[in-house]
Amino acid sequence: MLGRAIRSMDVMVHSSTFLLPKLHQPGHTPAKNYALVVLNQNLPRFMPRLWTHAKLRICADGGANRIFDEMFQLTNEQDYERVRNRYIPEIIEGDMDSIRPEVKRFYSSQGSQISDKSHNQETTDLHKCISRIHRSTSDHEKTNLCVLVTGALGGRFDHEAANINILYLFSDMRIVLLSDDCLIRLLPKTHKHDIYIESSVEGPHCGLFPVGAPSGSTTTTGLKWNLSEAKMRFGSMISTSNIVHAEKGLGWNGP
Amino acid sequence: MARPTMSHSSSFLLPTTDSAAAAAYAVVVLNQRLPRFAPLLWNRARLRVCADGGANRVFDGMPELLPGEDPDEVRTRYKPDVIKGDMDSIRPEVKEYYSNLGAEIVDESHDQDTTDLHKCVSFITRNPPCSETSNLYILVLGALGGRFDHEMGNINVLYRFSNIRIVLLSDDCSIFLLPKTHSHEIHIERSIEGPHCGLIPMGAPSASTTTTGLRWNLDNTSMSYGGLISTSNIVEEETVRITSDSDLIWTISLRN
Repeated sequence: MLGRAIRSMDVMVHSSTFLLPKLHQPGHTPAKNYALVVLNQNLPRFMPRLWTHAKLRICADGGANRIFDEMFQLTNEQDYERVRNRYIPEIIEGDMDSIRPEVKRFYSSQGSQISDKSHNQETTDLHKCISRIHRSTSDHEKTNLCVLVTGALGGRFDHEAANINILYLFSDMRIVLLSDDCLIRLLPKTHKHDIYIESSVEGPHCGLFPVGAPSGSTTTTGLKWNLSEAKMRFGSMISTSNIVHAEKGLGWNGP
Repeated sequence: MARPTMSHSSSFLLPTTDSAAAAAYAVVVLNQRLPRFAPLLWNRARLRVCADGGANRVFDGMPELLPGEDPDEVRTRYKPDVIKGDMDSIRPEVKEYYSNLGAEIVDESHDQDTTDLHKCVSFITRNPPCSETSNLYILVLGALGGRFDHEMGNINVLYRFSNIRIVLLSDDCSIFLLPKTHSHEIHIERSIEGPHCGLIPMGAPSASTTTTGLRWNLDNTSMSYGGLISTSNIVEEETVRITSDSDLIWTISLRN
């Protein structure tokens, strides 16, 4: 009975083509549009490339300080002002308690929409940014729109935990949290998953973690240590320091 | 339900403390940049263990954190007691340097089932530095941030060794497990930690958690990923009390 249920599950396809130098269409998957959300931590080194190909760029509050201060040293440019004028977010959203006044003035004068949500203390800045994208994206578009988030990992652990919870709260969206060292995404139990590995930019280290609840059964292919209807939970086995093998990468399914 | 109470305190982070009263602890250093309080922690530790490349971090990082002093002198003073792991990250000259100073090098074959931290915690439990092992803390530097699968593996060590007081520390925060088998009293050292805190049901949902001492207390409240988790909370009182039906990760920010 369970086998039949898994076989009839829809497959969700994942790939990290957004990390490739030129956005191209690999044969196996349509090009994905993506929105970029920048949180208030050090920018990853590949930020200029990520910025250039984004459909929409939102800074969450102090994320704007990071773009203002750090973009220059990530480019090969000599002209500081030119770099500053090139990387302008479409939206700056949040409670505005971290963005510096001069940064806010600069981007406002350059046409960024300043979306001041300081009256709302119930949700994090990332939550506000994702909500906005969620509201303005049709159900059909959601399957093709990826939201890339930088600065969500590391730093204060409660912030990181809350950012990971966003993946669960908005599990109908494709949200990827990125750092210099890794990317993470949620694999909802409602689907089987095919993950295409871009081995020029990612891997080989990988893992699967049952954050929030144990997994009664997980099965994978394409890893060095595959799981076969394996149970996973914190306190017992979780899959860390695994290695991706095949180009196609891993298939994953299971509740 | 009458559960035993477990008391927690971060007095080990205080700059000056009565060493007789302070909790005994071992320090484990993993392979990430040292936090700024590493020298302070090192001094009063009963045992200092580097996991493989953690030794590089001590070798490079301690003199950086004590810039006014002679690097060689710093390295001699801040030397690990044990360096453990498969030795594929530690630089040869670092291994030789500490070996010559008397550090015990515990080389081991690549065991894929356990992380470096797991191996170090196992080692410490088998070779406790002092007799009072029931209250021995294991403080870990370099367990958070960096590669996410490493971080998850390190957090899993807290769950797997839930009977041992293991604290993961970074520049920004500390985290430790609150096992569901106990009620918890967390004594807040306001000079060095807070006010931001959180309670995270990492491994499984909690049907009922109750707290006192926080700005937004929980009262028989459910928590889960996909629902409510307690983050960006604020410690308001000197003692925070927590009781839950599920294991929780407690986190508190550290002051600069």
